[in-house]
Amino acid sequence: MTAGFAAVAATALVLSACTSSPGGDDPTTGESSSDTADPSAEPTEAYEGTDKQDLGDVTTVDDQISYSLGEDEWLGYNGNTPETYSTYNSVVNDRIQSGFTYFGTDGTIYVNEDLGNVELVSEDPMVVEYTIADDAVWSDGTPITYDDALFSWATQAIADGQDADGADVPLFNYVGGLDLGSRTTAPVGEPGGKTFTLEYTNPYPDYMISTLMQFPLHVAAEQAGTTSEDVIAAIEAADVEALRPVAEFYNTGWLSPTPGTLPDEAIALSSGPYVLSSWEAGQSITLEANPEWWGTPPATSTLVYRFAAAETQVQALANGDLNIIEPQATVDTVSQIEAIGDSVTLLTGPSLTWEHLDFNFNNGPFATSLPLREAFAMCVPRQLIVDNLIAPIDPEAVVMNAREVFPFQDNYEDVVSQSYDGRYDEVDIAGAQAKIAESGVAGPIDVRIGYSAPNARRTEQVALIKDSCDQAGFNVTDVGNDAFFDQTLPNGDYEVALFAWAGSGQIASGLSIYSTGGGQNYGGYSNADVDAAWQALSSTLDPAEQQAEIVTIETNLWDDLYGIPVFAHPGVTAFDSTIQNVRDTATQSTVAWNAEQWVRAN
Amino acid sequence: MIKFILKRLGISFLVLLGGSLLMFYLTVSSGDPLQDYYESNDPNRDQIIASITQRLMLDQPWIARYWDWLTGVAGCIGPGVCDLGQNINGVEVGSLLGNAAVSTLRLVTLATVLAILVGITVGIVTAIRQYSGFDYVVTFLTFLFFSLPVFWAAVLLKEFGAIRYNDWIADPQISSVQAIVIGVVLAVILQAVLGGSWRRRLVTAGVTAVFVFAALTYFTSVGWWRAPALGIGIVAVVAIAAAVGLTAIFAGLGNRRVLYSTLTTVGVGLVAYYAVGPLLAEPNLLILLLLLAITIVVSLASGYFWGGYSSRRTAMGLSAVTGVIMGLLILLDRIVYAWAGFLGLKSRPISTIGSNTPNFRGDYWETILDNGTQLLLPTVLLTLISIASYSRYTRASMLETMNQDFVRTARSKGLSERVVIVKHAFRNALIPITTIVAFDFAALIGGAVITETVFGWKGMGELFRTGLDAVDPAPVMAFFLVTGLAAIVMNMLADIAYAFLDPRIRR
Repeated sequence: MTAGFAAVAATALVLSACTSSPGGDDPTTGESSSDTADPSAEPTEAYEGTDKQDLGDVTTVDDQISYSLGEDEWLGYNGNTPETYSTYNSVVNDRIQSGFTYFGTDGTIYVNEDLGNVELVSEDPMVVEYTIADDAVWSDGTPITYDDALFSWATQAIADGQDADGADVPLFNYVGGLDLGSRTTAPVGEPGGKTFTLEYTNPYPDYMISTLMQFPLHVAAEQAGTTSEDVIAAIEAADVEALRPVAEFYNTGWLSPTPGTLPDEAIALSSGPYVLSSWEAGQSITLEANPEWWGTPPATSTLVYRFAAAETQVQALANGDLNIIEPQATVDTVSQIEAIGDSVTLLTGPSLTWEHLDFNFNNGPFATSLPLREAFAMCVPRQLIVDNLIAPIDPEAVVMNAREVFPFQDNYEDVVSQSYDGRYDEVDIAGAQAKIAESGVAGPIDVRIGYSAPNARRTEQVALIKDSCDQAGFNVTDVGNDAFFDQTLPNGDYEVALFAWAGSGQIASGLSIYSTGGGQNYGGYSNADVDAAWQALSSTLDPAEQQAEIVTIETNLWDDLYGIPVFAHPGVTAFDSTIQNVRDTATQSTVAWNAEQWVRAN
Repeated sequence: MIKFILKRLGISFLVLLGGSLLMFYLTVSSGDPLQDYYESNDPNRDQIIASITQRLMLDQPWIARYWDWLTGVAGCIGPGVCDLGQNINGVEVGSLLGNAAVSTLRLVTLATVLAILVGITVGIVTAIRQYSGFDYVVTFLTFLFFSLPVFWAAVLLKEFGAIRYNDWIADPQISSVQAIVIGVVLAVILQAVLGGSWRRRLVTAGVTAVFVFAALTYFTSVGWWRAPALGIGIVAVVAIAAAVGLTAIFAGLGNRRVLYSTLTTVGVGLVAYYAVGPLLAEPNLLILLLLLAITIVVSLASGYFWGGYSSRRTAMGLSAVTGVIMGLLILLDRIVYAWAGFLGLKSRPISTIGSNTPNFRGDYWETILDNGTQLLLPTVLLTLISIASYSRYTRASMLETMNQDFVRTARSKGLSERVVIVKHAFRNALIPITTIVAFDFAALIGGAVITETVFGWKGMGELFRTGLDAVDPAPVMAFFLVTGLAAIVMNMLADIAYAFLDPRIRR
């Protein structure tokens, strides 16, 4: 289950990643960055693409820029353990650790050409070729090579026996478990070389975001009292005992359990444009330009990430204590930022997290009656919800009519036009009443809408739904409570569940949500066509076929009414208007995704 | 006494144990630490959930988790390894606790001391002048501050004390109209506070208004706001005023020996102002502490030689206090002088968040200014909201004492009003206040949850709050342990202090 489910998410992402050069001929591209900059503010040159802009020749300016996402303390150099894997950790670590790919602002996956290249060289068998830039080095001057990639693969592939249930126990405490190892054989290359190939046993559409570069092998080997050569030999021989000290160091040596004490410079090597410089517990962590960085130089020499609570960020921005923030997306925050004036620029746009209403197929009136589900879909005032609750934050917010693609992505129109005819765009009370009559269920029909409380926005959504649907013959009750995921959902004490999925940028992540018996298929939905389409989707590398499968899935989910998508959560970014190249993003990479390009205008 | 203390300690220990059990149960029942991950579509979700479940022992009954925590903590008092557990991210709570405690003490100590000093002073003065205009004005203000919603007040403070001030200090200008308005407002307040006949009020108001207007205009014209200095003149005037004032209150100006003793201390201090100048250019904490020690010794000597047989103790005590005030004034002079350089390093001097400026590199005085400006707003806020309770308790306690028979007796003996108030009334009024002060110091280590949050200090309150938000028992329990212990110890100290202050209890 875990393995199957590990391949998940917005199919569209992969499609665009595999097919198009950025900013292709699709006319909607320009709208994909729905920035609503303060009209009075100096408009920054709008870059149309969703990848990192090529800024040409960059000279590092000796300056300092402060940014914050929240109060959470940095947890350590190894952000790939389950303990340390979080947005707040990667907002720092992504600056000092390069990967082969990165997410563009709409979730499109791009190759990080600074580190090298990723290329699918054969589909059957599926072989991916990785190239590392010739001049790529760790911050101690050691070249970045195949050795480090093999080490990264080993952390996701070496098992240390089995547990009582017969499942493999990972030797390394890697956050993704042994998923990569179960799909691939060890990467093939020359020790010390700059290219290698990775073979997948089955076609795997999410190969672009496999993690093949984490940390320096020579450091781990030295700390474990051995040499890189011996570790490579041990990995190739799957010699668990020889690897145990290396794993021990990987699991603990790169963590920072004492806030304020940076790891030794010789251990926490950087492969990115910055290096760790200083850390004040509870206050800030400072990054300096990496003198060994071989790519485009970072635009600003010093970045300070401050651990500032969300409620303090707007005033700190106004006072210059922070220069770039991504605060909570609320109407209050937006109006406070607007009140500061021209000195601050506001960006609002959708994120990859989306809100939806899901029916309970296990029990209750909706489980067996399609007309009832249709009646409910007809009376849910989706446009009203967006207008009242989301548009005040992001004026360009729209109702979402798909589950696997987002309105700001290039292929959204394509998918929606083929899978959904607009039948639930307008509230249709009369139509809903007719459908209820058709279902033969005597009204009023009790509908418990469950969500995880407290959540003011969801409470208001339920109130709006009640206003509308009670007219049609439903009796909507708000059963939001703090044990929603814990008890309400597993026990099935609801008719409609209201929550959000936070997209991960993978193609096949919906497999466990929509297929029969899937781990996240809480409502117990089952449709053989959908199951088949997911299987096809998660095992094809052909973008056109992936798109076709998504259309099949969406069409079926609309016809069966698995649930009703409502909107993509809005995001808010604000920054000191003198800083250039700040671009908000829909992904979880946060506004810092292109931090090395930020620079203060003179 | 020993038996009493041991019995109290035993009971306190049991209360703490029971409290920890209750606290642990309430914390783990307050929500679901996995909440955030249910909506995640991340491929790593299952591993993360499994990892947290294992680390927090979520698959065990809560009593087993409590036992695990308790046995870890038992190592701190008995044999074994002291283990306060790990938080939800695997960070050692012991190290978190250390950072949080230091941060909280830095934030709250100054504010608490200030609040006690100002609150008790205000309380005594309002009691002496019960039902006067001053009493009403102060009562109104203290209740106003007491009822301020902290969060809202903090936002206002940041807006005006930080953002607007920083805008202003970039090019500090005060127009004549602004100077007049400020002068008139201060004049109205001051005459209300000082009171007296209409004639006297008019004079007070007039002098205040003219003085404020003149000072503001002068300061603006010479650019004092950006490059301020006190100079030997102001230091001398303030120090002499302090010496005379202290003597007048605690010894009476008639006691020449004490007066000369304190004035001698000021004189030596003025000489030291020049003598230690080079030492203070780039000092360190050790030098400053040494200077403090020398100051106190010299002051005590001055009191010893001037005091004679009758008032040696008084002279030595007051001289020492005067000496310390003098020393602080000299430091203040240095700090004020460093302001211009500090502005060069940090163009917006007052921050809204944090306990220091990241990567600030200045000399000793500039670093003090940096830490001080960061401390300024939260200290103002904490002091304002806690003055009220001290002043009201002191006032009530003082009024009660003043109406006692022994005060009437003292008066009828012909003792001066100063002696009656300082020696007879005030000392007795202090007894109930001791309890409050002790409790406040216990609460001090618990931090100020909201103030810490809005000003971005990672203190004890913050540790508690984030722990509770994440349904993460280890930090919450660490907070509980420390605050619980502090409450027990301080309570104990208050009881012992009672015995010293009130001889009746000792019998």
